[in-house]
Amino acid sequence: MIWLALKTLIHEKGRLFITLMGITFSTILVLTQVGIYLGMMGYATAIIRHTDADIWIASKNIQNFDFALPFPEERINRVSAIPDVLWAERLVLTWGFLKLTDGGQEQVQIVGYNPDTGIGAPWSMLVGSPSDVKGGRYMIIDKTSEQRLGRLEIGTVWELNEKRFKLVGLSKGIKSFTTSPVIFMSYNHAQNVYGMVGAEQTSYIVAKLKDKRKIREVVRDLNATMKDNDVFTREGFIFKTVMYWTVQTGLGMGFFLTAILALAIGGAIVGQTIYANTMEHLKEFGTLKALGARNEDIYKVIFSQAGINAGIGYLVGSIFILFARGSIERAGVPLYLSPGIFFTLFFIMILTCLLSAYFSVRRIKTLDPVMVFRG
Amino acid sequence: MERILEVKDITKVYQEGNIRVVAVDSVSLTLNRGEVLLIMGPSGSGKSTLLSMMGCILRPTQGEVIINGQVVSDLSEDTLPYIRRQYIGFSFQSFNLFPSLTASENVEVVLRLKGLNKKRPRQKALNLLEKVGLGERVDFYPRDLSGGEKQRVTFARALAGDPSIILADEPTANLDSKTGREVLGLLKDLAVESAKAVAIVSHDPKAEALAHRIVFLEDGRIK
Repeated sequence: MIWLALKTLIHEKGRLFITLMGITFSTILVLTQVGIYLGMMGYATAIIRHTDADIWIASKNIQNFDFALPFPEERINRVSAIPDVLWAERLVLTWGFLKLTDGGQEQVQIVGYNPDTGIGAPWSMLVGSPSDVKGGRYMIIDKTSEQRLGRLEIGTVWELNEKRFKLVGLSKGIKSFTTSPVIFMSYNHAQNVYGMVGAEQTSYIVAKLKDKRKIREVVRDLNATMKDNDVFTREGFIFKTVMYWTVQTGLGMGFFLTAILALAIGGAIVGQTIYANTMEHLKEFGTLKALGARNEDIYKVIFSQAGINAGIGYLVGSIFILFARGSIERAGVPLYLSPGIFFTLFFIMILTCLLSAYFSVRRIKTLDPVMVFRG
Repeated sequence: MERILEVKDITKVYQEGNIRVVAVDSVSLTLNRGEVLLIMGPSGSGKSTLLSMMGCILRPTQGEVIINGQVVSDLSEDTLPYIRRQYIGFSFQSFNLFPSLTASENVEVVLRLKGLNKKRPRQKALNLLEKVGLGERVDFYPRDLSGGEKQRVTFARALAGDPSIILADEPTANLDSKTGREVLGLLKDLAVESAKAVAIVSHDPKAEALAHRIVFLEDGRIK
């Protein structure tokens, strides 16, 4: 009966075109909303995800990764003293103002890490190496920041919070959630670059365990002993950060609602088209029944039409997004798309369209084939 | 002659609010292989209702419909499509062809419903259309066919499932006089040639000459 579904769809080209346009736009909207949301969450949690640590210790009541408050760095000794801890390291996260060549300034996010261990260092380098920041006022800036900061040339000297730093490396694709350019430098210089984090203070202590299976016990012990700090597992801190931006700021909810609306619009378009199609072709379906078709045979026709519409519309929308992806990202909009997202949204779109065909199926159930004898 | 269909004392009553309408009232008749039965009567006499019950599309309020010795009027809604596929071919007054399908595809629908594989339906549909004189117009859509040609397609479709019974509702109603005579002749030839039992509902006097038997229906009763 898929044969009949296809023939009917192709026969009514105008209707097919309008339905496909609707689903295509719905797909584009859903994919961009979900992709941008995931892209932004990816940036918000990038440093946590790319730092090889099992445990994150932050200031008390921290809301998310970007809003760290300083605390005494000597607390690292309490962490290192735990037998299950393989290593512990300090990490500074602060903010500063970078003077631009045109005299203006731009707010930047500063990450200070230990260049000897490389914990918290940029994970993707275009030019130079993470260890290049060692031994002086050296910094690495992300290449994507050129849009905000102007041309980034290795060896040039920049003024950051009235201190001069030499650009020694360019990282690739590392952005912050706030869209501020990310600057990496050595831990010691990050401590002194601005008043927020003072000497002998840190923003984070990160730790790696000898045996990750003991993570719950270690976190519990640390929480008990470090009353002035919050202790998270890596996943817990990612979740905390994502939830902050998603729920507390309402930002994620905005993306979520738009994506749901787009899905609903796609479903409504298919449902409305399929229903109108069913009502227009009731006599044909009645004829099918008279000729010996079971209700299930006719359901197959209706569901196939919904599925074909959804499948083709989604495919066209996805191809469009894949082609437009580069331009979107070049415009500075984070867009995270993976095969998993495409497959998941495909099944959601198919399901939405099949559900929207349900009302047509209900109409068929009560269709009396006697109608075929009415002229 | 072998009896293929029998209706025994069937009645169809429609209840519309407080009004009780008896569309068919205690009708009994039989239909044999190779026979053309003509059911005549004025509009509203219950002809199409009777045909619907004979075709297992409508369940009688009372009485029995027996096909090939089996009482089918009591069968469940799930079983009736199988009976229709197996035993009955329909030809409708307004043709009821699928506008999105070509003549051959309209015939193929029945074959596909019967679960034939992908290659055979096309060939069989072409043979049937050849048989009804439409061999040259197999790939035409209904909109490009004349009334007479459309009716021929419905005959081919009715024959497609190789049913024992063909039920035709007003086959000449939308045709001119000459074409009407042609399609009636064709229907009779098909019935005799392939030993089908044919019941035609019509008030076209031309049909009388072709029928083996005629029953007149008035106010739901046989006169």
